[in-house]
Amino acid sequence: MRTLLTIMMMTTQLLANGQAKTEKKTFSRETTVGVNIEASSQIIWALLTNAADYTRWNSTITSMEGDIAIKETIKLKSTLDPDRVFKLKVKEMTAGSRMIWASGAAPFFKGTRTYLLSENENGTVNFTMSEKIGGLMFPMAAGSIPPFDKVFEQFANDLKNEAELISNQKQ
Amino acid sequence: MPTIDQLNADFEACKGQLKSYLLRMTASVEDVEDIIQDTYVKAHANITSFKGKSTLKTWLFAIASNLARDLLRSQKRWPENVTDICREAALSNRDFLGEMMGIRMNSPQGNFEIKEHITFCFACVSKSLPLEQQLVLLLKQVHDFKVKEIAEIIDNSEAMVKYYLHTARQKMIDIFDHRCSLINQKGICHQCTELNGIFNPKQDAQEELVKIDMVKKAKDKDKEQLFDLRLDIIKSIDPYDSPASALQLRHLKHNKEVMDRHLKEK
Repeated sequence: MRTLLTIMMMTTQLLANGQAKTEKKTFSRETTVGVNIEASSQIIWALLTNAADYTRWNSTITSMEGDIAIKETIKLKSTLDPDRVFKLKVKEMTAGSRMIWASGAAPFFKGTRTYLLSENENGTVNFTMSEKIGGLMFPMAAGSIPPFDKVFEQFANDLKNEAELISNQKQ
Repeated sequence: MPTIDQLNADFEACKGQLKSYLLRMTASVEDVEDIIQDTYVKAHANITSFKGKSTLKTWLFAIASNLARDLLRSQKRWPENVTDICREAALSNRDFLGEMMGIRMNSPQGNFEIKEHITFCFACVSKSLPLEQQLVLLLKQVHDFKVKEIAEIIDNSEAMVKYYLHTARQKMIDIFDHRCSLINQKGICHQCTELNGIFNPKQDAQEELVKIDMVKKAKDKDKEQLFDLRLDIIKSIDPYDSPASALQLRHLKHNKEVMDRHLKEK
């Protein structure tokens, strides 16, 4: 039990340093980044769910259309592949804690982006973002999909900077 | 619990501020009158529920804000280029232009001043912000409420007030930076100097502009500071009682009518 807790704590710390980590398998790839943010989860959640405002604070998103609401589809362009429009469906939203966007169709090729917010004991908020892409077609496409690590790190850094800037405003 | 006399005194004391606030929210003198009346009626009827956790002024602003939100929630927000659309409509409306010139010539509050047009322009452009953002921006930056008080007025957390305020400021700074030729030589909107030429044909617009701090500091390119200087102008002018209020209120009524039509067609 103690070993399990230690592993969980180490994992959280690893995911809070702002550095992305990618795990590759034959039929899937998963990139994860985490960072601790000194701001209310309400502010972070508001930033993550206001599509019209993304390009102002997030240097990895060049355009975003649609509403970030359950069952809605959003279209976004990222610096990852500037010419491509990513169409994503909002699959799950639990206010202030969890959101999932998905694209593609299983079992051939599917992408799932998960955002998680959890409050730390010291009042900061741990933000984690992961994306798992995979399916039967993945081994053929894997070589042409760029790595997500740098973009994920930039995303997390931008979110941290913006949320903390808002939080530190004058009363 | 405050007495009715206390309520009456506080209501009278903040009525002017409430009206300015509501006018910038609704862009309609008629709506403002209705909301002001309803605010008093509601406050009077619910005076026993006032527990003194906030000031009476904050409580009155909360009632008025809720009434304004109820009215505006179903209405579409104005576009960022509202002044372009309304300018086109005004140029093709001779009756309106004639009426404006009549106000300019005959009304004691029919002056045209660039500073007054800046506040008019702010009122129009701020209606392109999402409703909550506009409300928080006005409460904090024009009416000087504290974040905690605004949280009480809009019944939300202080964190969300900060979020709305920050996003509203950034959006407005961006809009004016792209549009306003007073602070950006490449700005596409010259309406204040254009109108100054029409209403004050003998006046040198440049001489007027150099009197405005925001224009003087435009070369510094500190966008946050330029927006604060714009807010200083807005705070200094009562849209109901200024040398140009008759002219600007008629102009605002015109823009509201144009926007109502525009958004309905859209």
